[in-house]
Amino acid sequence: MKTKEKSLAVGIGAAAILSVFLIWYFAASYTKVSLFFPTPQKVFSRFAESLSVPIGKYTLQMHVLYSLKRVFVGFGLSSVTGIILGVAMGYSKTVNAIVRPIFNIIRPIPGLAWIPLAILWFGIGETTKYFIIFMGGFANIVLNSYDGTNKVDQTLVGAAELLGANKFQIFVNIILPSATPYIFAGLQVSLSTSWMAVLAAEMISSYEGAGWIINMGMNTGDTVLILVGMISIAIIGFALANIMRVLERRLCSWTVRGK
Amino acid sequence: MDEKRVKVEVKELTKAFGDLLVLDNISFDVYDGEFLCIVGPTGCGKTTFLNSLTKVYDINKGSIQVDGEDIHPKKHNLAYIFQEYSTMEWLNIQENVEFGLKAKKFPPDKLKERSDYVIRMVGLDKYRNYYPSQLSASMLQRVVIARAFAIEPDLLLMDEPYGQLDLTLKYKLEDELLKMWKEIRTTVLFITHNIEEAVYLSDRIIVLTNKPTHIKTEIINDLPRPRKVSDPEFVALRNQVTDLIKWW
Amino acid sequence: MDGKGKVTVRCKDLCKTFYAKNRKQDEVNEVIRNLNLEVKENEFLVLFGPGQCGKTTILNLLAGLVDATGGEIEVNGKKVDGPSCDRGMVYQTTALFPWMSVMKNVSFGPRMQGVKKEEWKKRAQYYIDLVGLTGFEDSYPVKLSGGMQQRVGIARAYCNNPDVIFMDEPFGHLDAQTRYLMEEEIEKICSKEKRTVVFVTNNVEEAIYLADRIVVLTEMPASVKKEYIIGLPRPRDYTSEAFLALREEITQCVEGNVAEEEVQG
Repeated sequence: MKTKEKSLAVGIGAAAILSVFLIWYFAASYTKVSLFFPTPQKVFSRFAESLSVPIGKYTLQMHVLYSLKRVFVGFGLSSVTGIILGVAMGYSKTVNAIVRPIFNIIRPIPGLAWIPLAILWFGIGETTKYFIIFMGGFANIVLNSYDGTNKVDQTLVGAAELLGANKFQIFVNIILPSATPYIFAGLQVSLSTSWMAVLAAEMISSYEGAGWIINMGMNTGDTVLILVGMISIAIIGFALANIMRVLERRLCSWTVRGK
Repeated sequence: MDEKRVKVEVKELTKAFGDLLVLDNISFDVYDGEFLCIVGPTGCGKTTFLNSLTKVYDINKGSIQVDGEDIHPKKHNLAYIFQEYSTMEWLNIQENVEFGLKAKKFPPDKLKERSDYVIRMVGLDKYRNYYPSQLSASMLQRVVIARAFAIEPDLLLMDEPYGQLDLTLKYKLEDELLKMWKEIRTTVLFITHNIEEAVYLSDRIIVLTNKPTHIKTEIINDLPRPRKVSDPEFVALRNQVTDLIKWW
Repeated sequence: MDGKGKVTVRCKDLCKTFYAKNRKQDEVNEVIRNLNLEVKENEFLVLFGPGQCGKTTILNLLAGLVDATGGEIEVNGKKVDGPSCDRGMVYQTTALFPWMSVMKNVSFGPRMQGVKKEEWKKRAQYYIDLVGLTGFEDSYPVKLSGGMQQRVGIARAYCNNPDVIFMDEPFGHLDAQTRYLMEEEIEKICSKEKRTVVFVTNNVEEAIYLADRIVVLTEMPASVKKEYIIGLPRPRDYTSEAFLALREEITQCVEGNVAEEEVQG
C-alpha cells in the first residue's frame, strides 16, 4: 500500500512539472507572452550550449563553480564561528549574558542590508562577498546551536555525572550529540540563505558567477540568459539541500524510529 | 445480565498489514449495559484491535454492528477514553462536558441540567469553572469520564485509561467508574493489560492470544460487587486469567 | 538481608525545601523533613509512599544530584557532596543516551573512567547478557521497547559497579504485564549480583515482591512513617495469603495519609 502511494505521488509530481512546461511552451509559442518570455526549447538549447561556449569569461559550469566556492567559504566561516559561538552561549551562562544583548541587536538586520557597508569596508573584491554570505547565514546557526545546547536533557547530564564522566567528557559525549539535530536544522536554513546571499552579492559586483549571469541577461535584455541562470541556480540549490538531508540522516540516525 | 440483548456485534474482524496478519477472525458480542474487559499479552495487537474496531483502519474482512447497523461515528453515540486526557485547554470544566453534548445535538434547554448532573456524579462540582491546566491528572481523568457518560453513549471504549496513574488513585478512580456505570448503565468495552483491573471491573473477560490475535477464551465474571482483591475467589479468578496469558 | 549489618547508606535529619519565585510571591515548598534512613549492605530497600511525596527528590539527594537544605548523607562512610560513580541510578524515564548503541550505553561508565577497551567490552557484554539483551548490542535505544530500554538502564548502572544503586520507579511507565516480567527479572539479577539497592515505587505489589525491607513515607513533607521487614520466601507469589495480607496492611497504612488532591493555581 505504501509503495503504491509513493509511486502515485511521484507520478502526480511528474505530471505537474510536465504540464508547467507544456503551458510554458504553448504560451511562449502562440500567445503574446512570447514578447517577453522565450520558449523552453530556446532556453534549454542555450543552457546546453553554455556548457561549452563561454558567457563572458567562463562557461556556465565555471560560473556555477565560482558561486559555489563563494558559498562554501562564506557558509563554512559562518557555520564554524556560528556553532562555536552558539554552543558557547548555550553552555555558559556568562558567555550568553555578554553576547546575547549584542547579538539581539544585530540579529534582526537582514544579511543583504550589510552590502553597502561591506563594499565601503572591503571594496568590491571577494572579501565583500564572503562577508555578505557570512552575515546571511550566521544568526540562524548561532540561534539553533544555542537552542540545542541549552535544551540538553539535564537528566542525561546527571546520569553521565553519576557514571563518572567529567565536565569535558559530558560536553563531548552528551551535550554536543544532543545539540547536533538542532545545529543541523540551523545549517540547512543557513545554507539556503547563503545561496541567496551569493546571488545578491554577485549581482552587485562581480565578473563571474550565477548571479552575474542573471544580471548580465538583464543588462543586455537577454531573457534567455536570465532563465539559463535561474535554472542553474535551481539545480544547484536543490542538490545542496539534498546533500544536507543525506548528511543529517547519517549523523542523526539515532533520532529515527523503525528498522 | 438479566436480559441479554446484543448491543454490539463484532463478526469475523480481520486485519492484516501487508503479509502480517494481526487480527485473525475475531467475533464477539457485547451485551446491552455490560462491562466487558478485553485482556491480552503485551504486543497482542491491542492498538490495532481498537483502531479497527473504531474503523480508523480499513479492515480486511468482517463487520462491526451496533444495534444491528454498521458502526458509524455519526449515527451512533460512541465515546472514547484513552490514557491521554483529551480535554480542551481553552474551555473550563463545565464547557468541556457541554462540548460533547452539543456535538451530539443535545437539546439546549437541558444542557445545563445534564452537565451539572454528571459533574456532580464525579465530585467536581466545586471545580466546574476551573480550566484543565489547573487540575491534577486524576481530576482530569474524572472530567473525561463525566464527558463520556454525559452523552449516554451506545458504547464507551476505554483503552487502558489508568495505565500510568498512581496506584492508590487508580483504585479510587476505578471505584468511581463503577459507580457511574451502575447509575447510567452504559455499555463499556474496557481494554487493559492489567489482569487485576480486569477482574475487578468486568462482568465478562475476553482473553486474546498473541499475534495473529484471536480470541482464546471468554470468562464470565460474576463475583459479587463490591469486590475485594484479597478475597480467595478473586485471587482464584485472577490466577486463572493470568495462567491463560502469562507470556513472561 | 545480610546478617553482618554493615551500613552502606546513612542519612541523618535530611531536609529539603525548594524555594521558587512565582510572580510576585515567593513559593516555599518543603519536600522532606528530618528523614532518617539506614541502608545495610546488600539490602534491597523499597521506599514506598503516596503519589507526589518527594520520593524522587530523596533519591536525587542521596545520589548527590541535588543539594540538601539540611542534614547529612554518607555512603560507605564518605560524605555525599555532588554526584560520583560510587552511586548508580536507574531512571523512570530510562535516561539512556539516544545517540549511543546499547553497548556504548552500558559501557559508558567504565569508558569515561579510562578502562581499557578489551576490559570494558567484556564487562559490558557480561551485563548485557545478564539482563537478557544478547544480540541487541548495536541497537539504538529508540528501536527498543520500553521494557528492553529499562534493561539497558539497569545494565548500565550495574556495569559501573557502584556501592549502591538507586532505582526511581523504573517500571512506572511499563504496562502491567511487562512490569511483572521486569520484577521477576530484577529479582533474578539481584540474586545473582548482590548489590545494595534503594528502590522507589508507588506500587504496593511491586514493593512487597522485591523488598527486604519497606520504608513507608508520609505525605509531603516526607519522613519515615513506618517500616516493614519482609521475610516472605523468594520468589514471592503475588496471590499467596501472606502476600495479600501484607498488601492490605501496607495499603491501609498509606491510605491513612492520602489526602484529597488539591487544585493548583
